Amino acid sequence: MNAPLSRNWDSLRQSRRDRLARAASQDFARAVPADRIVDLLEAVILPGDRVCLEGNNQKQADFLAESLADCDPARLNNLQMVQSVLALPSHVDLFERGLASRLDFSFSGPQGGRLAKLVQERRIEIGAIHTYLELFGRYFMDLTPNVALIAAQAADAEGNLYLGPNTEDTPAIVEATAFKGGIVIAQVNERLDKLPRVDIPADWVDFTVQAPHPNYIEPLFTRDPAQITEVQVLMAMMAIKGIYAEYGVTRLNHGIGFDTAAIELLLPTYAAELGLKGKICTHWALNPHPTLIPAIESGFVESVHSFGSEVGMEAYVAARSDVFFTGADGSMRSNRAFCQTAGLYACDMFIGSTLQMDLAGNSSTATLGRIAGFGGAPNMGSDPHGRRHVSPAWLKAGREAGGANAVRGRKLVVQMVETFREHMAPVFVEELDAWKLQAAMGAELPPIMIYGDDVSHVVTEEGIANLLLCRTPEEREQAIRGVAGYTAVGLGRDRRTVENLRDRGIIRRPQDLGIDPRMASRDLLAARSVKDLVRWSDGLYAPPARFRNW
Amino acid sequence: MKRDFNLRRSWFEASARARLAGLLDAGSGKELLPPAAAEPSPHLAALGLPGAFDDGVVVGSGRLAGRPVLFAAQEGQFMGGGVGEIHGAKIVGLLRRALREGPDAVLLLLDSGGVRLHEANAGLIAISEIMRAVLAVRAAGIPVIGLIGGSCGAFGGMGIVAKLCSHLVISEEGRLALSGPEVIETVAGVEEFDARDRALVWRVTGGKHRFLMGDCQAFVDDDPAAFRAAVEALLAESPVDVDELAQLRRQQAALTQRLAVFGQCRDGLEVWQALGVAAPENVPMLDARALVSLKEGLSA
Repeated sequence: MNAPLSRNWDSLRQSRRDRLARAASQDFARAVPADRIVDLLEAVILPGDRVCLEGNNQKQADFLAESLADCDPARLNNLQMVQSVLALPSHVDLFERGLASRLDFSFSGPQGGRLAKLVQERRIEIGAIHTYLELFGRYFMDLTPNVALIAAQAADAEGNLYLGPNTEDTPAIVEATAFKGGIVIAQVNERLDKLPRVDIPADWVDFTVQAPHPNYIEPLFTRDPAQITEVQVLMAMMAIKGIYAEYGVTRLNHGIGFDTAAIELLLPTYAAELGLKGKICTHWALNPHPTLIPAIESGFVESVHSFGSEVGMEAYVAARSDVFFTGADGSMRSNRAFCQTAGLYACDMFIGSTLQMDLAGNSSTATLGRIAGFGGAPNMGSDPHGRRHVSPAWLKAGREAGGANAVRGRKLVVQMVETFREHMAPVFVEELDAWKLQAAMGAELPPIMIYGDDVSHVVTEEGIANLLLCRTPEEREQAIRGVAGYTAVGLGRDRRTVENLRDRGIIRRPQDLGIDPRMASRDLLAARSVKDLVRWSDGLYAPPARFRNW
Repeated sequence: MKRDFNLRRSWFEASARARLAGLLDAGSGKELLPPAAAEPSPHLAALGLPGAFDDGVVVGSGRLAGRPVLFAAQEGQFMGGGVGEIHGAKIVGLLRRALREGPDAVLLLLDSGGVRLHEANAGLIAISEIMRAVLAVRAAGIPVIGLIGGSCGAFGGMGIVAKLCSHLVISEEGRLALSGPEVIETVAGVEEFDARDRALVWRVTGGKHRFLMGDCQAFVDDDPAAFRAAVEALLAESPVDVDELAQLRRQQAALTQRLAVFGQCRDGLEVWQALGVAAPENVPMLDARALVSLKEGLSA
């Protein structure tokens, strides 16, 4: 028989005590002056630590990111970064300056080009690219941070945090770090005697620092209605009539593109005219899109839970607390982990756009020379086999796919694209760029955003392809070719098969849906400008300067 | 009240022909030099640039509230509504036709950045001919009504033509000035005028500013029906149209005075404050009705 294992069972706690003692020996109290933050980081972080840097596609712990990048690589190196989004120049600086060596993340946005270059130069090791839920999940499994650097709106003297409307990832990060011997450092925009509400209790937080500037927030979900095209209006009409109405989709998530913004703006006009108010789009997992304001004001929307907030929507959200989730103080409470869960399990439909789609329906936003990552789309845009509860939309989709005796339903996963993107780049391709990127990165798998077998419908200006009704891979391929228009993939379709698919209702053209493309006019949009949105909101929506021409 | 937003037509976004369809009595519009008869610009062809069969302007006749009118509607979506040789000749020809036919009004649907630079000299001559012809039509007692609400506004030579009209109708989206924002920035520097600051551009050249300053007689919503109603009202007033010398002298004095009063202002906001607007920062969000009553309050 083996002897009982002899070891310390509290090494994490011991390490934490050592780190806090080092900080205390340098006279650090819980409130840290901004000009000493680099010293604090060097005192409490150790080489090889796993460090979580908070930042999503919205709020960013930018001051802490810049401060970490200013640390001495001779003292801090080989850091293992875990973070939702690689968005700021300082995030990449960490690797270029030799502070960090490994990255597990979800999305890289504007830094995708620099990231790809670092990977090719082998100056960064990528653990994996995740969806948000996966990454949050791994914070509680094998990627638990030693140190978390987070962003909050305000702290009080004790160190309690108020997160403001952009709660986003903070609770998940802090929970994983604070309860596994880690150190939590928060940058705050202001110090208050009394917080509007406590979002993170003080004993989960070790240090707070008031940043010289408020943390950066990107207004990522603001789409100017002026830029919506009539082709997008046409596709939105088809989606509403051919999918939303037919399945009775009440619980859903929308992507962030102009295609879905067009749908939001057609709800009070076109969808209302079709008598769909109260029958579709009542419950949402969605950031507070400004383009949803007309639908909310028209009484279409009962509830919206959000991943984060949106710049300028604060007063509107606070004034519509029947619809949005708000705290006792009246301001918005968002939560990315919970909203992603809602998007995965509690929504009947995800609809979004992509840059490329292949003949199997696999789609990817990866392009050569850029590592973009996934964000939350693959959570929402996947059919969760664990789902058990029933809804009419889920059942109908399941029976279309599996026949009348299907033992489970299906989520509707809709990809909405124009056949050509800007610069006449075809969306439909024989092979995704993701495969070339896989080779260039030396990755095990290509970065596919939405797997083809999860996709239920493809909507283009040429029509709707219902992939649920396809019975063979060949039929799926021809259904996709059938709506791929004048792309090489579209021109490669077999005319007779496509006509047959159309007869079976697998492909439906606008006229099959009773839609005259000539009627697809921007005049149908409930708002045609950002200013219209402000008017719809009774002046409560305050758009950022870049979206104003007044 | 919120249903007002629904299914509203936009003048700003409409093509020249769509604007005419909303402006004139249904079915009354008749194009002169229709597509088959017109010619594209030979100058653009010589430069290897694509032309348009109508050279960017639609001219013709129609009725508005039963009254006969002639119209010229510029197409801002073709080369920024730039005035080339044929484009200009069509407008001049229309104005001369007005002298012969004597309609109740000539309507100029302006949407132009001014002279089409590819046809510089021919375009400049065309502008001066249009100016001369507008004055001749007005001298004959026929009102020339300018409508400004397109994406290109009325700038350069067409800004001058606009100010020669008997009456101007403008929407918030419309802009009216001589030099365009980019030209001012290029010549005088970004410190003088930041052409990328869209809010500033509208506060200085936009419809609300022009209306508050008295440069335009009517201010309307961005809607063909609103433009139509404004023109109908102007026609109903049967406006006396000939500028007397004394009246011109009064206008000149007013313009001199304007420079003295507002010459140091850097922004529309400051001008409106000097005009006596109580809360200038609220002006951009006012709707047409509210702005008109604000203006009435100022003149009272």
